[in-house]
Amino acid sequence: MSAKMGSADLKLGFIPLNDCAPLAVAEAKGFFAAEGLEVTLSREASWATVRDKVAVGALNGAHMLAPMILAASLGVGGEPTRLVTPMALNLNGSAITVSKALAQALRRLDPDGVAARTARPLARLIAARRELGSAPLTFAVVFAYSMHSYELRYWLAESGVDPDADVRLVVVPPPRMADQLRAGLIDGFCVGGPWGALASADGAGETLAYAADIWNDSPDKALGVNAAWAEANPEVLQALLRGLLRAADWCDRQGNRAELAAILATEAYVGAPADLVARSLEETEIVFHRRDASFPWVSHAAWFLSQMRRWGQLDPAVDIAAAAARVYRPDLFRTAAAAVGMDAPDRDGKLEQGFGDGRVFDLAAAADYAAGFKITRS
Amino acid sequence: MRVLVIDPDSARAALVAEGLKGIHPLEVRQAAVYVAAEAAAFAPDVVVVACDSPDRDTLESLRDATASNPRPVVMFADRSEPGLAEEAVRAGVAAYVVDGLAPARVRPVLEAAMTRFQLMQQLRGDLAKAKADLASRKTVDRAKGLLMKERGLDEEGAYKLLRKLAMDSGRPIGAVAADLLTFAGVLKGDGQ
Repeated sequence: MSAKMGSADLKLGFIPLNDCAPLAVAEAKGFFAAEGLEVTLSREASWATVRDKVAVGALNGAHMLAPMILAASLGVGGEPTRLVTPMALNLNGSAITVSKALAQALRRLDPDGVAARTARPLARLIAARRELGSAPLTFAVVFAYSMHSYELRYWLAESGVDPDADVRLVVVPPPRMADQLRAGLIDGFCVGGPWGALASADGAGETLAYAADIWNDSPDKALGVNAAWAEANPEVLQALLRGLLRAADWCDRQGNRAELAAILATEAYVGAPADLVARSLEETEIVFHRRDASFPWVSHAAWFLSQMRRWGQLDPAVDIAAAAARVYRPDLFRTAAAAVGMDAPDRDGKLEQGFGDGRVFDLAAAADYAAGFKITRS
Repeated sequence: MRVLVIDPDSARAALVAEGLKGIHPLEVRQAAVYVAAEAAAFAPDVVVVACDSPDRDTLESLRDATASNPRPVVMFADRSEPGLAEEAVRAGVAAYVVDGLAPARVRPVLEAAMTRFQLMQQLRGDLAKAKADLASRKTVDRAKGLLMKERGLDEEGAYKLLRKLAMDSGRPIGAVAADLLTFAGVLKGDGQ
């Protein structure tokens, strides 16, 4: 059933998060082995190190923040490096969590706004704090170029909170979020599971909104691979994609969720209590394979670039549609999907819908979209 | 010049700090975790950070100058020497510098840090190997004892037999000895 890859020796990196599941499951359930692949998974401590190791070839590929792959490819915030995205790893999966004290204050101020999962109560609180001369609230994300950063910014801005002027945004590693919230160093954060559920479970925090509330079926992590390696090893890359596709499919089967939580919970992968991982998988409505979740939509890449543009991270001269199509490679995905008998969309991009604010995103009009928000630097 | 060394591995951080003392008239501090307030008070020109520290992502976010962070930082990659950044990543170390700092001043710092990281890795590797060698010698001694008792061989004869088994199977003598002991254990019922 599998092509022998001979001495195929692959090194892939990941960060301890629920959405590393396709890699973890491909290793633990033998989907890599079934493709004749010998894969070493390397648990990394920071996204910057994941990016740099893939860039220099110390890792062949990794579980990455989808926008980080685009930023690195375009040389945004560093030296340009050639990476490609042949597969996405999940939809949804993250949440915005604030301290218990802040959640209670917001609920007193505007219970309906909290129930509607908007930042409207927060906008009112921030205005009141400004009157009093209080210090700005501090929110943490995991990386400047991440879905979590754009999700939090989108959510805040939708209710009139300017994320660059009205709050302080900092970067905190995911496993430290709950501790910093408890210690009062941050007032809230946006992060992938299970770290939000962890903060809720120990009473330090309360989740106010999920990624699915802001944009249902929104992209998040992707497989990023070194482009030079991908070009030199097309067969190994295809075997890798086949293994990951089968693993992603396995992750989404309802009967496998308890086992998935148990696998992720181990120290080798996420290292968090299995019941919390299970709860987080459910609450965040994470999808690994259904509804074309693994497909690397060029329109997803273009949306990320539109947000980079919106927040002043991207040079306005960059052609968003062209840049997105250079990094995202649905062609590589379709070859692998066909080989395992799975359906794949025949279009590279789609009209993106499902936003909480009712907008639609058309990749052909990405720059106008970025400029069309009330709060924008574009 | 002030250098801040961030490394969750305190022994390695101490080694790096020690190694940096010789190269410049500079001030070195070390910390296991990056704390913004402490860093602001020290105002380092260079932050040397271990690649296995989660604080790298926080440092990456300090690229933009803000009110709380008036001195933007960049990741140090000397373009006059393309392999340097790659070598540093492989050695497990990265450096962030205050924007505009001359590469000539930063390079010796990064190079000294890389040397210490590699030295630490080698020391740890040597230690692990020494432990494995010791364990292997004990295993061989026990296997020799077993053969002497069960086969009535003297010590030299037992060792020669082990060596022959190792050569015939093309495996290390320690592995053959371990197999022999396991096999003997299973026959006695210890393996259950």
